Amino acid sequence: MSVPVMKVTEMKWPALSLLDKDGIAEFAENLAERYLVFGPVAKGSEYVFAPVGKGEVLELNYHTTILPPKKLLHQPFEVLFSFHEDGIQENIVEQPKQIIFGIHPCDVHAIQILDKAYSVEYEDPYYMNKRKNTLIIALNCSEPAETCFCQSLGTGPFLKDGYDLLLTDIGEAYLVEVGSEAGMELVEAVNLRPAARVALVEKQKVYENARRKFRKRLLTQGLHELLESNFRHPIWEKLKEECLACGSCTMVCPTCFCYNVVDKLDLSLKSGKRTREWDSCMLLEYAQVALGHNFRKDRDARVKQRIYHKLLYYEPQFGTLGCVGCGRCIKTCVKKIDITDVVSRIRGE
Amino acid sequence: MVEAVARANPLVPELGKIIKIVDETPDVKTFHITTEKGKPFTPLPGQLAMLSILDVGEAMFSITSQGPEHLELAIKKVGMLTEALHEAEVGQTVGIRGPYGNGFPLEMLVGKDLLFIGGGIGLAPVRSLINYCAEHREQFGHMWIIYGARSPADLCFKEDLFQNWPRVPNCRVDVTVDKGDENWTGPEGFVPAFVEKLNPSPKGKIAVTCGPPIMIKFVLQSLEKLGFQDDQIITTLEMRMKCGIGKCGRCNLGSRYVCLDGPVFTLAQLKQLPNEY
Repeated sequence: MSVPVMKVTEMKWPALSLLDKDGIAEFAENLAERYLVFGPVAKGSEYVFAPVGKGEVLELNYHTTILPPKKLLHQPFEVLFSFHEDGIQENIVEQPKQIIFGIHPCDVHAIQILDKAYSVEYEDPYYMNKRKNTLIIALNCSEPAETCFCQSLGTGPFLKDGYDLLLTDIGEAYLVEVGSEAGMELVEAVNLRPAARVALVEKQKVYENARRKFRKRLLTQGLHELLESNFRHPIWEKLKEECLACGSCTMVCPTCFCYNVVDKLDLSLKSGKRTREWDSCMLLEYAQVALGHNFRKDRDARVKQRIYHKLLYYEPQFGTLGCVGCGRCIKTCVKKIDITDVVSRIRGE
Repeated sequence: MVEAVARANPLVPELGKIIKIVDETPDVKTFHITTEKGKPFTPLPGQLAMLSILDVGEAMFSITSQGPEHLELAIKKVGMLTEALHEAEVGQTVGIRGPYGNGFPLEMLVGKDLLFIGGGIGLAPVRSLINYCAEHREQFGHMWIIYGARSPADLCFKEDLFQNWPRVPNCRVDVTVDKGDENWTGPEGFVPAFVEKLNPSPKGKIAVTCGPPIMIKFVLQSLEKLGFQDDQIITTLEMRMKCGIGKCGRCNLGSRYVCLDGPVFTLAQLKQLPNEY
């Protein structure tokens, strides 16, 4: 494993506090008075990020959510502007401050990737407007799910930075670490009880324990060369038959950011809206151009585009791999296509 | 209000109007577009614009020419938006934003003999460069324009092909059609074979080609056969684009986005990308 073992004693902000487990609901409700707070709540046998503080119970023992928290920053459907006979009215509204509570390290890393994708060369004002008004209360993972492989990619199970507050379940309470000025203010406002530095020893134990629980891995060593030289590997022919091209893997991916733009006319036929919605490179029409030519007509070309974009093309574009190992694409695929398995098979394992 | 918004938000177009429509072929029209403040922006040859009819949609088009007060976009009727444009009349309100893309690498072309190879509507982006070179004639060597279309009626920019460009000093124009009609006396046959027959020497030359994907594919083979090196061949790519600013993902090719890094690539650059185009 090429990912170095983390030393949890490296800290930028010295304040350490403890939050009792039965105090979590009160803490969230307190925050909800000043912020829109989204956190993991149960939905059937799964979990979703939903508003908390109004009867919804925060479930911090969740494994993963159906959709990643990207939906709070890059909405599945969004109005870009409205138009009418006199002109255009932009739809960037004043964004209330929001907190994403209980977000796992993989999803925090994914947001950092989206931050780059949506700010490089041109800034996307809709995303950035929400992002600038978002605080992150992250939760280190002590129980990785069957489909998780963040450890291989260095994006989990514990977080080093990118949070305002960071929680770790150390048994009787959550250890709370501060990662920013805004995080410091949150802690001061609710008067948490201070923790002794010995709590970091507990944290290290939880970390070591979590590290041993991973069942999947995606070896990144030599990945570039491997993928570059296997554009014609027989596995793509096989995946062409298996994949249904439904696009679910891209919808649940925390780093997928593609969108389609659609104009919608109001019933008056005099005004309308330009909207955008999540798009997917797995869909047939995605790479079709004028006169019907399609750059990726066959499903193998589309599966390959998804996997290559994540594991090969993101790095020169955004300086990091495009996969954070959250495992959602594996969990959601009805044909059980598994990105870690695809890579192992190309490696000949 | 609209103007201030347009500067701040790259996805909001400026409103403009179609001020002139030129019928090029039965399914290609050139639209002259301006805004209240004059020309929407000043593109380099080969750059692109996002053009929309609000309520129908928006798409990326090459800018084939420009005047002091307007932009010209030659557009083939192929889908919903382009059909709406073809039905539009002078005075139609449109949304426009840009310029996008890299444009042709002028610094690489200066002092070189230039071979332009176009097919069908693919002449539109190349035309912006041909006209630029004709206007800055002293900066470039010999110009040779080879162009083909399906039939004589499908030839775009006939006035340029048969009147304006043949009069440009030190410039040769050869035109073919896949199949002629009763009035056609010129050559017949596909562009790649036509290029091979004309046999241009690669010495000191840069070839610039654009056309339907299948034509580009075979023209590239023909040029290689004639001895052109990968860094002597330039082409422009077409992908569908929804944003123009490298976010929507549609024009992703390997680690590049055609809207930001293209649409103009040398063959040497294309060979670094996955073989999908």
